[in-house]
Amino acid sequence: MAQAVTTPLSQNILRDGLILPRTPDPAAMVIFGASGDLTARKLMPALYNLALNRYLPSGFSVIGVADTALTEDEFRAHMEQAVQKFSRTQPVDRAVWQSLAEGISYVRMPFDDESGYGRLAAELDRLDRERGTNGNRVFYLATAPQFFSVIIDRLGSSGIARAGEGWKRVVVEKPFGNDLKSAQALNQAIHSVFTEQQIFRIDHYLGKETVQNVLVFRFANGIFEPIWNRRYVDHVQITVAEDIGIERRGKYYETAGALRDIFQNHLLQLLSIAAMEAPPNFDADSVRDEKVKVLKSIHPIDVGKDVVRGQYGPGWVGGQQAPGYRQELNVSPTSNTETFVAVRLKIDNWRWAETPFYLRTGKRLPSRASEIAIQFKNPPHLPFAKTAVEELTPNWLVMRIQPHEGASLKIAAKIPGPVMRLRTVNMDFFYGSSFMVESPDAYERLVLDCMLGDATLFAREDEVERAWGLVDRIEAGWASQPPPSFPNYAAGTWGPSEADALIEPDGRRWRRP
Amino acid sequence: MIQNHSDLSTRTFVDVHAIQEELDQVRWGLHADGGGSEAAQHAAAEARASVLNLIAVVGNEPELGAISSVLDRLSITNPSRTLILLAQHTRAADKLEAQVSAQERTESGHRVTTERVILHAHGEPARHLASLAAPLLIPDLPVILWWPGRPQFDSSLFDDLCELADRLVVDTDEGFDDADLARLLKVARRKNAQASIGDLNWARLIAWRHVAAQFFDMPGMLARLAQIHGVSIFHGSDGSMAQARLLGGWIRSRMATVGIDVPIEFRPDDSLEHGVRRFLIYTGGAEGAARFSMIRHRGGRLSTHIRLGDQDVAERTVRLESRATEELLSIELTLPGHDVLFEQALDAALR
Repeated sequence: MAQAVTTPLSQNILRDGLILPRTPDPAAMVIFGASGDLTARKLMPALYNLALNRYLPSGFSVIGVADTALTEDEFRAHMEQAVQKFSRTQPVDRAVWQSLAEGISYVRMPFDDESGYGRLAAELDRLDRERGTNGNRVFYLATAPQFFSVIIDRLGSSGIARAGEGWKRVVVEKPFGNDLKSAQALNQAIHSVFTEQQIFRIDHYLGKETVQNVLVFRFANGIFEPIWNRRYVDHVQITVAEDIGIERRGKYYETAGALRDIFQNHLLQLLSIAAMEAPPNFDADSVRDEKVKVLKSIHPIDVGKDVVRGQYGPGWVGGQQAPGYRQELNVSPTSNTETFVAVRLKIDNWRWAETPFYLRTGKRLPSRASEIAIQFKNPPHLPFAKTAVEELTPNWLVMRIQPHEGASLKIAAKIPGPVMRLRTVNMDFFYGSSFMVESPDAYERLVLDCMLGDATLFAREDEVERAWGLVDRIEAGWASQPPPSFPNYAAGTWGPSEADALIEPDGRRWRRP
Repeated sequence: MIQNHSDLSTRTFVDVHAIQEELDQVRWGLHADGGGSEAAQHAAAEARASVLNLIAVVGNEPELGAISSVLDRLSITNPSRTLILLAQHTRAADKLEAQVSAQERTESGHRVTTERVILHAHGEPARHLASLAAPLLIPDLPVILWWPGRPQFDSSLFDDLCELADRLVVDTDEGFDDADLARLLKVARRKNAQASIGDLNWARLIAWRHVAAQFFDMPGMLARLAQIHGVSIFHGSDGSMAQARLLGGWIRSRMATVGIDVPIEFRPDDSLEHGVRRFLIYTGGAEGAARFSMIRHRGGRLSTHIRLGDQDVAERTVRLESRATEELLSIELTLPGHDVLFEQALDAALR
């Protein structure tokens, strides 16, 4: 017979030994921009896969909010089609989808319509009563950025963001502002309603398994950290290269450019995790404190000397003829928007002083590659006769984010024979060859983390503002220069010749990823 | 998904040095005559990922094909060196045969190469296969001993291989009775036991454990867990109870950590032939009695319900994966060290 327990349990002992420390609390996720592309391609498939793998709690509910004329049934059908088309797991399990769909509802309203927020509040109340969501809400801003402030404002003025019991969190998609001033204004607007602990600024790059693996690679292997500094590292190259153009995003890209689209977020995130100190633990503030320290330590950039911009002209990529940027849809024929940026940075701290970091990103480059590459210094002296140190190819450690996730180490080896001849050999580790399992989509990880209240993989206010500060400095430098003579590189090449001129005087060359 | 599978080399040997030499050759493409297949040379052109040594013990020749197929599929996620031991003590003439092969697979652009040695022994050498297995292992990688079916607990081969292994993996769903479970627990708890125990049947229960735990993550429900007063487990009608016993052992052992003894009721359910069908947890609570139920349905689904008093308050349907053997093995291969929870569940199942 069971014995009565006089003291309540302090933790769920049935959870011992299971991978996830806990299941998120039952909650309602309000998706603003629910009829848009992001919801269909990413969010709903991510939610379905979380449900499929039992990561969502009972009672989990979704309210789609958009100004598109849809009935609730039509919205659910639209979401089901999206899951069928974009889910990474196929075929879609109909019973699991039905179970998830029972908690999906739709509120049609313009984002600035105050009466609409009244209906949204009523729907949230209904979910609290009928599905036990207990006042827990995630407000997911999957809209165009111009709606962020008005939605936040209405969530505050309607009382929805503060009402009753339970936690409230807001997820903001990138771009988070388009310069320091707008980012600060947006932060201020959000902070008027939510505290920093409630804000989850998403950069899906951080949800990628392989980006997280860089942290594991650095901080779970004792052999790399002792040589991860100025004493042994000659320089670091970080590349986010895309072989595609701007697709149909001309309108957005004209206002963003490579600097805002990739450098401000993805490239600086990779820089931070490559250069940061080991955090004392993996909680949100410990990790983000270390990342922010890197951004704070960046030596002031001399834009004329340290930054190169480019724009692609017509060319050939992967055997296909590609138009120039100015010929793309919704792009001005005289556009001076940059599609390529290369930056030389120095980090003023004890670990990295005088060690250059070369960052580059571009569109219509010869191949798609995201990587952090570290070149180690040559040995000071070679004891092998007739072999000059200069003849050696340096040791490179390359952490590839995509594609072919993994790591490579380039080392010197003796060519068999009676003479001491050296040759460079690549040792490749393919992440997929050791863990040939399907990785969850970045959005699955990030949505789950948000529901669990773990902001480690989300950008913090100071992190975002530091990054924009850097972008502003570069923009200001460009503004003081004469207009660039674009286009200055052909599609299918590794950027303008000025990019080579940035690195070669330092006695170094860009890698071919 | 493109998948390519090619044999790089297959040769038959009778002594350990010859086997070692051939393993080196298939691993690195270093044929003494400078030859070797194109695929072997290709495989040798880059460093290779290996995550473990796997020793599989096969009871008879007909099983060999099925086990090899599982290992083929397993190799996609666990690049490894695999030794398959076919020990037939009963045959009169002493004989030892070995076959070495390497397989290369390409999937989604990734290439994985695994080496496999099949050791087939008759008579006296069959008792000493561990001595042949030891020098064939890749150094510094964990050694997993997979014993499909019921292990020969009393054989010297079992003891020797357990000495060699870091982990012994069995499947208690393959006809284990209480005596077998007790033997398994004894192996796990013997002094200086190096090998931890893994059980594919335990891996099958992950979803049940996960969903049961989720009930009590819900606000206000944790207090009810402290007032648990019974559990009913309905199992298939084929007489196999190991899975149900293990699930019951799990919840008993967990609750025992906070001093609660949970009565477990096992009942056959004719609607299902094999495995756990329903798992019901009964608790008290401030607002009256509650029943937390999980029901397995055909098609790999689990429906869950909470009934508080006479009201259903939460229902949902989730996936209950019917995992293939290689997937279950893969789960067991990634678990480090002794699985204390499993050992406690096994212990509680036998009480």
